[in-house]
Amino acid sequence: MTLLTEAVILGVLAMSLDLMVGYTRLISFGHAAAYGFGAYASGWLLLNTSLPMLAAIPLAALLAGILGIGVAWVCTQASGISFSMLTLAFAQLAYAVAYKWTSVTGGSDGLAGIPRRAGPFGHLFVSRDGFYYLVLIALFLSFLFCRALVSSPFGAVLRGIRENEAKTLALGYNTRGYKIAVVALSYGLGALAGALYAPFAGFANTELLFWLLSGEVLIMVIVGGAGTLIGPILGAAFFLVVQHQLSNYTESWALFFGLIFIAFVIFAPDGIWGFVRARLRRRTTEPDYRRGVARAR
Amino acid sequence: MPSLSFLVTEIANALSQAALLFFLGVGLTLIFGIMRIVNFAHGAFYMLGAFIGYSVASLTGNFWLALAVAPIGVGIAGALFELGILRRLYRRDESAFLMVTFGLALAMTDLIRIGWGPEALQVKTPAAFSGIVMLMGEPFPTYRLFLIGAGVLVALAIWQFLERTRLGLLIRATSQNAEMVYALGIDVNLVRSAVFGIGCGLAGIGGVLAAPLLTASIGMAADMIIDAFVIVIIGGMGSFAGSLLGALLVAFVQVFGEYYLPNLALAFMYLLMLLVLVVRPGGLLGKEA
Amino acid sequence: MNGNSMLTRRRAIALGAMGTALAATWRPRLAVAAEPIKIGAPLALTGPLGSVGQQLKRGCELWVKVQNAKGGLLGRPIKLLVEDTGGNPADAVRKAQEMVERDGCNIFTGITLSSEALAVVPKLDEWNAIFISSDNGDGRLTAASFVPNFFRANVSAPMGARAVALYLRTAPYKKFYAIGMDYAWGRNSVAVFKSEMENAKKDFVGSVFSPIGTKDFSTYITKIRQSGADACYVTMAGDDYNAFLSQAAHYELPKKVQLLSEVVDLTVPKAVGDAAIGLISSMRYCFRTDNPKNKAFVATWKKEYNAEPDNNEGEQWQALQVLAAGAEKAKSTETKALRAALATVQLDDINGHVAIRECDHQIVQDGTVVRLVKAEGFSYPVPQIIATFPGEKTVPACKQMTYSD
Repeated sequence: MTLLTEAVILGVLAMSLDLMVGYTRLISFGHAAAYGFGAYASGWLLLNTSLPMLAAIPLAALLAGILGIGVAWVCTQASGISFSMLTLAFAQLAYAVAYKWTSVTGGSDGLAGIPRRAGPFGHLFVSRDGFYYLVLIALFLSFLFCRALVSSPFGAVLRGIRENEAKTLALGYNTRGYKIAVVALSYGLGALAGALYAPFAGFANTELLFWLLSGEVLIMVIVGGAGTLIGPILGAAFFLVVQHQLSNYTESWALFFGLIFIAFVIFAPDGIWGFVRARLRRRTTEPDYRRGVARAR
Repeated sequence: MPSLSFLVTEIANALSQAALLFFLGVGLTLIFGIMRIVNFAHGAFYMLGAFIGYSVASLTGNFWLALAVAPIGVGIAGALFELGILRRLYRRDESAFLMVTFGLALAMTDLIRIGWGPEALQVKTPAAFSGIVMLMGEPFPTYRLFLIGAGVLVALAIWQFLERTRLGLLIRATSQNAEMVYALGIDVNLVRSAVFGIGCGLAGIGGVLAAPLLTASIGMAADMIIDAFVIVIIGGMGSFAGSLLGALLVAFVQVFGEYYLPNLALAFMYLLMLLVLVVRPGGLLGKEA
Repeated sequence: MNGNSMLTRRRAIALGAMGTALAATWRPRLAVAAEPIKIGAPLALTGPLGSVGQQLKRGCELWVKVQNAKGGLLGRPIKLLVEDTGGNPADAVRKAQEMVERDGCNIFTGITLSSEALAVVPKLDEWNAIFISSDNGDGRLTAASFVPNFFRANVSAPMGARAVALYLRTAPYKKFYAIGMDYAWGRNSVAVFKSEMENAKKDFVGSVFSPIGTKDFSTYITKIRQSGADACYVTMAGDDYNAFLSQAAHYELPKKVQLLSEVVDLTVPKAVGDAAIGLISSMRYCFRTDNPKNKAFVATWKKEYNAEPDNNEGEQWQALQVLAAGAEKAKSTETKALRAALATVQLDDINGHVAIRECDHQIVQDGTVVRLVKAEGFSYPVPQIIATFPGEKTVPACKQMTYSD
């Protein structure tokens, strides 16, 4: 149950990154910033205020979304690899702040003993199983939100940016504004995942902001299948469960883990979901965006 | 008020640090220039260099032999990876490369752990450079002077290679316009294998040279890859001179930053990168991204 | 208990005849009473401190092997559950939780990093499990973060710093500087050292903290040199420690400044060679400790692994010896009984006489100070014990991390 809960939380995180990576082709190397910020914010609120969990978690996500606008404004000045590196820079700065601002963040120890405060309606969600249902609901709602978003006109513009930004701009869309919006939304949603993680684990520490996590989330998205929403959720679960199980059997889990990724790239180019979908619905002729992108290169 | 001797020592410190960073950054930027690949496994190749260097040095007792053999070994490993795996992927988008090099980094790190064990291993400083010299009355290790010299030498060699040799010309041409080179009947794939091998080999040199300072250890690659990224981004992805400039800037900011504001040591590099990218999104010497 | 001892004897015969593995598979058919005792070890086998995790693993494995060959514990075989946490607190909690739920494990040891231990400790009550620390140095585990199900069977970081400070009271050094890794342990240890120096009316001229993963220490070495100190206290571990010592030697820093440290593993002199010569440090376990139990332990260890037992390996052995003494005293491994017994357990073992203190579950053990020297028969500089201090002098007051005298 613990593993499942964590997998679902990471699912929310990976899905939030998919908005950027899969739908807009903004490859972020710094999504840990969103996750870590969310965890620290909800952890701090639960430790230092009397807000219940059900208020602290969305509030943390909202704060991250607002801050995300500023980060997005800077990062979207660049594109391509420079965009990636700017997101990394912000994440590493967040890491340095969390490390140094000991009075608020607990420094290298992080925040510990974060309570799951029930509040008026939250009693159902305090227990271990209850919390699992809470994160499941969060995943489901986020999924509905993201799906509505990507199938809306807004989502169509994002895809336009992904395929050909210059053309979309020429059509009269303020592409920069759209990009800022999607980055901020993605940060907010990523922070929601982090905000759930803090009361789940009972602690928040600098590992949650470290670049390694950013890389891992990106891998989850790609393994699952970018630009599909469902894929990244599966990717997150796959990543966590395989890592966990492999490391039960062998110390050399990293070796096999690495080989699995390489095999995935070669044999399942569209990720888990692409693989599953190809098997399930061979007749449907869905456009394959990723191939289109590859041709554009 | 800093004394002159302090300034001289710190500048020498920064230059020796820049030399090591340069070996990593230049390989990364060459590979990016030709292949548009962000090589996440670059740190693992660097580490492989240190471990091969350890084995050769401890078997033969000769550091110089290690310095010659290890980069070749690492370069071959890199070229094989390009031939075996990357070659199949050039029609795919960057996420494929990201994942495949990330996977390689994981697998390679673990293979090194299995092969050489989890404990750090000593690579002795070569006898010729194990003493100190006095710089304005302050001791300075001759090995670090040697690092500075090696950095200058390799930078000159790469520059001459790119300018004077046919392969260098092809590399420059391919990084400008791969289709054109292909149209001229050149085997672009061969250029790619060569560049990937050379880039990894340069990381291997960095690994061997860093080993006497750091020991050969599983952790040595972890943060180095990020440092290398930062250098390359600051200098401009794909720019040879940029990687040199980036390495120098990062090293000087680190050395003087650590001295005057040690509490911000974690953040300097990133602040520098942020500043550069906001002013020039393509990096200092890069094409506009 | 008669039935149990019968079983023990029968199993001892089985063991002699067929080896541990077979005996373990036979056991369930013999009797329910011989259900194995499960010891959970979620270790950081990979990651930055992987070499420490590997040492703890070796310590656990040999102990379990030796103990099972003697008939197990309380007549029951011991089953060791080892899993890799990668040094990540979240993974440590998850793996430990799984051991509780899947395997019914209620005894933990070997959790490698203090950050992992600090994440696990608040869960112990919920899991109804005991955690016997074998290498966690963080002072808070027996102070602000203390929980009743936690026991520390190793010397803590403040105790190591204290032993070095006691040694310095009679040593010729006058001006001190300190460098630490920038995280809780490094800062803690430097703070204890600083207050000790000030209490002793020594000149403490400053300190600096390097971020974890620092590769180039040249600037820090310049700072140490400029401070004019004649001794420098170093709290580092792993790669950072090796890099610092190697580079300090390049600058010939030890010729001018005596290097001191809170703890040193043999992996350090093995990795940096002569650069470690002359270092004065406290050790939590030193294989050259002179007592019969330790001599026997070192001999057993060498036979198994063909090397001297390292700091963490001895610590892990001691932690499991403490567990065994507690279990035998309680005649049970049930959490409540075991906790009560462990709280006052004492034994003579590889570190001489040691005892768990009831008020904060900290082990009271002699403080050892060593100097690394070249010695006949070793390929690397080895520790030579230069001072020992009785446990009462090195242990802080109950649930404290600093000292008043």
